[in-house]
Amino acid sequence: MEYNGGAVVAMVGKNCVAIACDKRLGVQAMTISTEFKKIFQATPKTYLGLPGLATDVQTLAEKFRFKINMYKLKEEREIEPRTLAHLVSSTLYERRFGPWFTEPVVAGLDKNNNPFICNTDTIGCINFAKDFVVSGTSTNQLYGMCESLWEPDLEPEDLFETISQALMNAVDRDCLAGWGAEVVVITPDKIITRTLKSRMD
Amino acid sequence: MADRYSFSLTTFSPSGKLVQIEYALNVVSQGVTSIGIKATNGIVIATEKKAVSTLIDDSSLEKVSVISKNIGMVYSGMGPDYRVLVNKARKAAQAYKRVYMEEPPTAILVKEIASVMQEFTQSGGVRPFGVSLLIAGFDESGPWLYQVDPSGSYWPWKATAIGKNMVNAKTFLEKRYNEEIELEDAIHTAILTLKEGFEGQMTENTIEIGVITGSPTVQEDGVVVLPEFRKLSPNEIKDYLANIA
Amino acid sequence: MTSRLPSQAKGGFNFDNHVRNAAMEGKGAALPKATKTGTTIVGLIYKDGVVLGADTRATAGPIVADKNCEKIHYLAPNMYCCGAGTAADTEMTTSLISSQLELHRLATGRQARIVTAMTLLKQMLFKYQGHIGAALILGGVDISGPQLYTIYPHGSTDKLPYVTMGSGSLNAMSVFESRWTPNMDRESAIELVKDAIEAGIFNDLGSGSNVDVVVLTKDKVDVLRNYARPNERGVKEASYVFRRGTTQVLKTSIRDMVDIKETVESIATSTAMEVDAV
Repeated sequence: MEYNGGAVVAMVGKNCVAIACDKRLGVQAMTISTEFKKIFQATPKTYLGLPGLATDVQTLAEKFRFKINMYKLKEEREIEPRTLAHLVSSTLYERRFGPWFTEPVVAGLDKNNNPFICNTDTIGCINFAKDFVVSGTSTNQLYGMCESLWEPDLEPEDLFETISQALMNAVDRDCLAGWGAEVVVITPDKIITRTLKSRMD
Repeated sequence: MADRYSFSLTTFSPSGKLVQIEYALNVVSQGVTSIGIKATNGIVIATEKKAVSTLIDDSSLEKVSVISKNIGMVYSGMGPDYRVLVNKARKAAQAYKRVYMEEPPTAILVKEIASVMQEFTQSGGVRPFGVSLLIAGFDESGPWLYQVDPSGSYWPWKATAIGKNMVNAKTFLEKRYNEEIELEDAIHTAILTLKEGFEGQMTENTIEIGVITGSPTVQEDGVVVLPEFRKLSPNEIKDYLANIA
Repeated sequence: MTSRLPSQAKGGFNFDNHVRNAAMEGKGAALPKATKTGTTIVGLIYKDGVVLGADTRATAGPIVADKNCEKIHYLAPNMYCCGAGTAADTEMTTSLISSQLELHRLATGRQARIVTAMTLLKQMLFKYQGHIGAALILGGVDISGPQLYTIYPHGSTDKLPYVTMGSGSLNAMSVFESRWTPNMDRESAIELVKDAIEAGIFNDLGSGSNVDVVVLTKDKVDVLRNYARPNERGVKEASYVFRRGTTQVLKTSIRDMVDIKETVESIATSTAMEVDAV
């Protein structure tokens, strides 16, 4: 987790959800890239965040892309965010005694456009939350930011400001995360992806 | 080592037929009739349960089986083969649940069972299953009634029959069936259809009926609750029979 | 036999990453902590059945990972199981045994007995020699009446009329030892369970938030989720919502969802379109 650094956070708003991540890839204290992808689109309205060991992030992103595509082909429907969460959980628990070093976050709208977010630990224990979930090296800082900034029923634009400020101020106190940020706000009729201007130190 | 010599017993004839599968279908067509009807608000599957001798204790004999919460199944053909498939189907349903934490949709379970049956037409040292299945399930996409044959082919029906009396039964159902049929009527129709080819006295102990009705509901936490497949008790069947006679 | 697709779990654990992870640990990389349920869980037998209780805090080290998690797991219609220890292990172990019990129920056409579940659980945990960190309280009612067991991660079990487990077990047991009596009525049994859990919530750091209760009797199960909420969060007096435009944005891309409606129009059938399949 600390080897490459990185943070992901997701929040529920009014009929919308947001998921955000920093963009740093490091090897311990040395920054390698400031364009490292940590959140992935699973379905039109669901995103999967994978902070953690970079090699596992990319391996799992492909593994889940495969599983989600196979699900779609077999079942002739998109996977629901809750179902995806359980798929993630069982995939991680299979490696209970040799885990993947990532703590995934699932954020999306289900088929009735109800918000869904959750995260799991490295061995697939799901934490269903109604407000926000955090993950990665900035976990402690993010908990502090989210506990104070988050409030219920935020409109998409307000949710964007809240999640952005929570993430940016959290990673500023984390040496291993930061160097740019990306925020995705998912609403029933559109997906807004924004790249933030942030400190680069 | 042994499997080096276990050739598939099901091989093509020069005219392009798989006679083993045709023989399997013959077994099915000699089997006891089973009926399935899909209604607007549910499904009914039914079959005769007749012991070859009055000396047999058939109280624990089961022909309509619960596979998972929202899926049930009945067969025509060989009982022992059916029970193998029931076990495999139940395990497949649990395997699906352990990955996704939800009940498998009917179509997925049907494909799973059908792929088992197909494999037994192509593997070494085995023979095809001597059964056709009627699988009734209610999922988020509605009620579904599938038939699966020994070849592994499967397709959905509005109403159908398999087994000994299937031709007559299907003709009967074609006359009786309409798109607006409700479950209560469908149960009646199913019993009447069975009665057509029934030898001897039809009682609550000589037929088995399984139903699934309702509609999926969404809980407050977003979890979908599906209707439950259940078998009618002898007392319930008795009431239906009383209404018909 | 069934689907050979790699998407289908083969069953059993996969140890592929173990050597790599051990090597990383050897080089000094800190391994991430799994979520634990610090936990106070309790169970007692009363006049008509069993009452199970649990707090709702999940922890990752000193951090509260989940403020309102569910620690009383469904096993079968007539039994529930409280879990303490590694959260994923309690979750997965109970759901696996629940799955086996469902197959058992379908195969036998009877309700499973509590000893059956207890034996399945202890045999599984013993097989994994304590590496599956699930400490459980199993409670339920079957043909031989109310039953209560504790199951330890190594596979040992106890059968007692009142039990506690988890980091708050001593706090809870102090309440049970002073107040439990045989043949309690339902109301005082639930109250005692609530007080025992609250002893854990307030005095054990690994336990917190709310009290979940499940009452099992011969013909009814009551799941009393968040039966008591002694730690309601204070209402925020003011809002911290930022003025829109606070965050500096470098790039925005918006993807609009478009509803695609397919309409099928039947084209007049012309004989010319048909192809004879001779």
